[in-house]
Amino acid sequence: MQPVLSLKGITKSYGPIKALKGVSFEVPAGAVFGILGPNGSGKTTMLSIILDILKADSGSFSWFGQPGSPETRKQIGSLLETPNFYHYLSAVDNLNITHAISGRGDSADIDRVLEIVKLTERKRSKFSAYSLGMKQRLAIAGALLGDPQVLVFDEPTNGLDPVGIAEIRELIKELARRGKTIIMASHLLDEVEKVCTHVAILKRGTLITAGHVDEVLAHEDIVEVSSKEPERLYTTLKDFPGYTHIKQEGKMVEMFLPTGTAKLEDVNLYCFEKGITLNLLTVKKKSLEAKFFELTND
Amino acid sequence: MFALIKIEWLKIKKYPAFWWMLGIVALTYPGINSISYYGYTKATSGKEIANNIAKMLLGNPFAFPETWHSVAYFSSFFILLPAILVIMLVTNEYTFRTHRQNVIDGWSRPQFITSKLFDVLIVSIIVTLVYVIVAAGFGIYADSSSTGQWASQLQYIPLFLLQVFSQLSIVFLLGYLIKKAFIALGIFLFYYLIVENIAVAYAQFKLKDIGRFLPFEVSDRLIPRPAFFSRFGKDAKVSYDHALGLIPEHVIYTLILTTGIWLICYAVHKKRDL
Repeated sequence: MQPVLSLKGITKSYGPIKALKGVSFEVPAGAVFGILGPNGSGKTTMLSIILDILKADSGSFSWFGQPGSPETRKQIGSLLETPNFYHYLSAVDNLNITHAISGRGDSADIDRVLEIVKLTERKRSKFSAYSLGMKQRLAIAGALLGDPQVLVFDEPTNGLDPVGIAEIRELIKELARRGKTIIMASHLLDEVEKVCTHVAILKRGTLITAGHVDEVLAHEDIVEVSSKEPERLYTTLKDFPGYTHIKQEGKMVEMFLPTGTAKLEDVNLYCFEKGITLNLLTVKKKSLEAKFFELTND
Repeated sequence: MFALIKIEWLKIKKYPAFWWMLGIVALTYPGINSISYYGYTKATSGKEIANNIAKMLLGNPFAFPETWHSVAYFSSFFILLPAILVIMLVTNEYTFRTHRQNVIDGWSRPQFITSKLFDVLIVSIIVTLVYVIVAAGFGIYADSSSTGQWASQLQYIPLFLLQVFSQLSIVFLLGYLIKKAFIALGIFLFYYLIVENIAVAYAQFKLKDIGRFLPFEVSDRLIPRPAFFSRFGKDAKVSYDHALGLIPEHVIYTLILTTGIWLICYAVHKKRDL
């Protein structure tokens, strides 16, 4: 199937600073594609390039198999960096401009998207009178206008309260269920882990990894073990065969094994034979956060 | 094209500064011309010999057809009012970052500049309409017997429009390149009110009038001083006729300058990061 977005060797510099160094990846149709990276890693720069706000120094990108153009952008609902609206206009007037430029939606649809982001009651208020969270909601409404097949969200939960964050997370999941392709940059790893099917991790302008969440995260199984005698448990498990790395975390011992090799009954039997009774034995996937720090730390 | 105008109208129609500017222009243009008219009537209405001489020298600059010329000349001093609006219209886009959003939503970069060109054109047309109404009003009021000559000197209407559009285009370029409203406005006022006036005056006496090629002066020469200035001696007459003779030349210079300004905007916007 044709990828929705394809980047090939995108490079961008700001003077001596290289913001992107030959970034290439593809976003498959129907994916919720998370772009991760520390501050200054090039996430927003990359999204700005694919939306023609910034010019790449070299490389190319294509939307739906075609070079980026006004026509392709009209098919994409986008929220880039900050909510950008005319301060003296109301939500409805601002979305009328979005509609007039993009051709997405109509007046009934403006009411629909404002209802989704819970701004119906304040739809006639001026943008300048909105709180930070309301501005962000309006930007999301603007992206949703016309129910586009592809959405680009740059830090979509910025400025939202916990309820708002949960609502947007649900909204993104709902959009994904309906087959929308969502490209989302975030530094909230928990956020990405909960909703994304694919991730790309950027570090200082270099793409470190990209792919399906399970592939990116599933390099290791972590076996968590605990007993009344943690020191003895740690010393004993050091002789257990097959792990790649072991460490003591308080009263718990974490043993890292290659994906699919963690057999809890073997660990249990091994400890039992050494006279150690376990009070905790579990296997967990490495969290995105752990993976992220592992990949992005020097 | 109409879609762009419609979208710009959506942006402008609820912008308070636009209506304030329109209101102020609608008051200022009649105001400045009324002051001039008052001065004229004061000088010519008495029965003294001096009054009669003044009347003979001045004619009636506010009667048809001279009103088109006189009102255009006096009104042109107040270009700074619509200039403030033009600076706001372009720098607002940077402040609100809507210059990015418009492109994200599906405009091409040239479409953004074209939309701003329409803004400047719309403001120029509105200002010209106010000028036409004021000039016609004075023509009828000052000497109703002159109305038969209303169709003479109508060339000052397109000349005024061209002057306003050209000068507002320079202002737009400043706002577009500087991005900050107050800095752009400060530079504009300092240059327009002080630097260029001094440079033009200096060049007139020392540099063979090369100052006429300065950005605002190029189009200022489209509307020379009113005809009564030519009645104060032979030199004044020669100077006035010379200024009239230069108008066609300055129409060409103004068109070249204005076209150049917009081409620069298109070229810069095509390449620069937004």
